[in-house]
Amino acid sequence: MSVAEVLEKPAAEVPAAKPEKRKILLSVEHVSLSFGGVKAIQDISFDIEKGEIRAIIGPNGAGKTSMLNVINGFYHPQQGKITFEGKNRDKMRPYIAASQGIARTFQNVALFKGMTTLDNIMSGRTLKMRSSFFWHLFHAGAARSEELKNREFVEHIIDFLEIEHIRKTPVGRLAYGLQKRVELGRALAMEPELLLLDEPMAGMNLEEKEDMSRFILDVRQEFGTTIALIEHDMGVVMDLSDRVVVLDYGKKIADGVPEEVQKNQDVIDAYLGVPH
Amino acid sequence: MFYRETGQFKTSYAEDMALFPVIQDRIGIGVILIVAFVAIPLLANDFFIASIMIPFLIFALATVGLNILTGYCGQLSLGTGAFMGVGAYACYKLTTIFPEVNIIVMVLLSGFFAAGIGVVFGLPSLRIKGFYLAVATLAAQFFLEWCFIRIRWLYNYNDSGAIETVDHTAFGLVLAGPSAEPLTRYFIVLVIVIAMTWVASNLLRGRFGRQWMMIRDMDIAAELIGVRPLQAKLLAFAVSSFYCGVAGAMMVFFWLGAAEPAAFNINLSFQILFMVILGGLGSIAGCFMGAAFIWILPLIIRTAPLLFGVEISAALVEHIAFMVTGALIIFILIVEPHGLARIWQIIRQKLRVWPFPY
Repeated sequence: MSVAEVLEKPAAEVPAAKPEKRKILLSVEHVSLSFGGVKAIQDISFDIEKGEIRAIIGPNGAGKTSMLNVINGFYHPQQGKITFEGKNRDKMRPYIAASQGIARTFQNVALFKGMTTLDNIMSGRTLKMRSSFFWHLFHAGAARSEELKNREFVEHIIDFLEIEHIRKTPVGRLAYGLQKRVELGRALAMEPELLLLDEPMAGMNLEEKEDMSRFILDVRQEFGTTIALIEHDMGVVMDLSDRVVVLDYGKKIADGVPEEVQKNQDVIDAYLGVPH
Repeated sequence: MFYRETGQFKTSYAEDMALFPVIQDRIGIGVILIVAFVAIPLLANDFFIASIMIPFLIFALATVGLNILTGYCGQLSLGTGAFMGVGAYACYKLTTIFPEVNIIVMVLLSGFFAAGIGVVFGLPSLRIKGFYLAVATLAAQFFLEWCFIRIRWLYNYNDSGAIETVDHTAFGLVLAGPSAEPLTRYFIVLVIVIAMTWVASNLLRGRFGRQWMMIRDMDIAAELIGVRPLQAKLLAFAVSSFYCGVAGAMMVFFWLGAAEPAAFNINLSFQILFMVILGGLGSIAGCFMGAAFIWILPLIIRTAPLLFGVEISAALVEHIAFMVTGALIIFILIVEPHGLARIWQIIRQKLRVWPFPY
C-alpha cells in the first residue's frame, strides 16, 4: 500500500500491522567483527521479525553501532552469516543494502547540511529514480515527471512528520530535534523494509522524545516497517519495543521481551556494575 | 518593498520547482538578457565587447564548470587550466582534420575530449579527498601542460609551438579567426554560455545534482542511501571538464585567436578557482559575479585614473589594480566567506522585508 493511500484513509480503517505469524526478516548468526586487536562484536546471533520494533541496548562501547554498521554493509564481519529476507549476504557495499530495503539514521545526525529539508528527503528517493541523464539536461520529459512524482511522495512524508514549515530551510540551520526528524524523513523516503535507528532520541527533551516515539509507532503502524533501534533511554525502550537484545563488551548478554530483560541479572550488572 | 513575493501562490509542485519561482526574479533575468542581447551590442564599442564581455562570459562558463565539481560535488580541483587546454587543443586538432565542419559544432565536440581526460584524472577522487585530491589534480595540470609542449602533433608540428585559428565561415559569416567581427563572436559565446548555464542549472536541480550535493555534504550517508560514489564523482568530473573544455576552446577560437601552452598554466586554474570561491561555492549566479569581479574590476580600476584625468604610468596603474583587487578579495572573504552570491542573497532577504528590519 502506498503512503498516499494510507494517508488518505481515515485512521480507523488503517489495518493494524500485527505480526500474525513469526516471520524472520533479518537474522544475524555468530557474527564477529574486530578492528585489529579490538573485538567490537563477538559471536553475536539474533533475529528481527517482520513488523516488530526491536531494540538493541547496552552500555557505551558495547558494539551497538558496530552492529548496525554490519547490518547495512558498512563494516564487513570477519565471521558469521547475515540473512536478509531469506537471502544470505556476503560482502556487500552499503548502496546494495540500501537497494534491498535497509535504511538508517545516525547517532550524530548525518544530514546533508547544505541542502534544504525538501532536498534532504528527496535524496532518500535516489534509488527510486531512474530517468536518464539526457532528460535531466533539459529538465523535461521523464526527468521532470519523475521529479514531480517523487516530490509528491516526499510531501506526504513532510506532512506525516509535521515539518511543512521548514520545507525550504537548509537543514544546517535547524534545531537538533528537527534535524533528527528530517533524518527520519529521509530514511522513510527510501520506503525501507527495515529501518535502523541509531539513538533517535539522543539529546532530546521530553516533549521531543514523545513526538519521536509517536512517529516511530506511527511508522510501524502505517507503513508496516520493521524497526531496529538503539536507544539509551530505558523508559522509551521498554515502552516501544517488542523485543530487546542487550550487548555488553561486544557480547550478547540477554535477548527477549522487555519485562524479561529488565529482570535479567546480567543486564542489571552490566548497567550498574558489579563489585570485583 | 518591490521585491516581495506576497500573493504569488503556487498551486502545483511544478510551479514550485521552476527555476525562478518568483516573478521579480523572472523580470530581473529578462532585463539581464535584454541588456546582453540588445543593449550591449547596440551601445558598446568593439573594445568593450572583445576584451571585456567575451572573456568575462568565457571565464564565467569555466567557473560554472569548476563550481559543479568543487561547489556542488565537493571535489577540489586545481586542473581547470589544463582541462581548458585539452578543450582548446582538441578543437584545434578537430578543425585541422575536418576543416569544413562548423566551428561551433567543433567547440562543443571538443568538450567531450576534455570530459574524457577529466574522468581519467578524477579516478583518484574515490580514494583521496580535500587538499590531497587538489594535489592529485595538480598532477593533471602539470602532465597535460607538458603534453601541450612536448607532443608536437598537438600543434601540427609548427615552429612557434602555439595554436592559431584561421578564419572559419558558416552561414555566410566569419565566425572565428582573425577577421571575425567581435560582435559575431560575442553573440556565439553569449548563446553558448547561456544555453550551457541553463543546462547546468537543470542538471543541478534534478537527481544528478542532488547526488553530487549528497557526496559533498556527507559522503557516508550518501552511500548508505544508495549513491554510488565512484559513478557520481566521475560524472561530476566529466560534466565539469566538459564545461571547462568548451570554455577553453572558446578562449582560443572566439577570444584570443591564438594561444601558447603557457596560456593554460596553473595561473589560469587559480584564477578560475578564485572566481568560484569569491562568487560563492555552490551557486550558479555566483559564477557570473565571481568572474565579473575578478575579470572586470581590474579593468575598471585601470581605466579609472584616465576618467578622472589623472596622469600616471601604465606600470603603476597595473600595480594599483592588483593591490586594490587583492584587498577587495580579502575584504569580501572576511565579511562574507560564502562569497558574492551569499551577499546577494542577504540583500534579497533585506529587500523582501524592507522597510522593516525583519
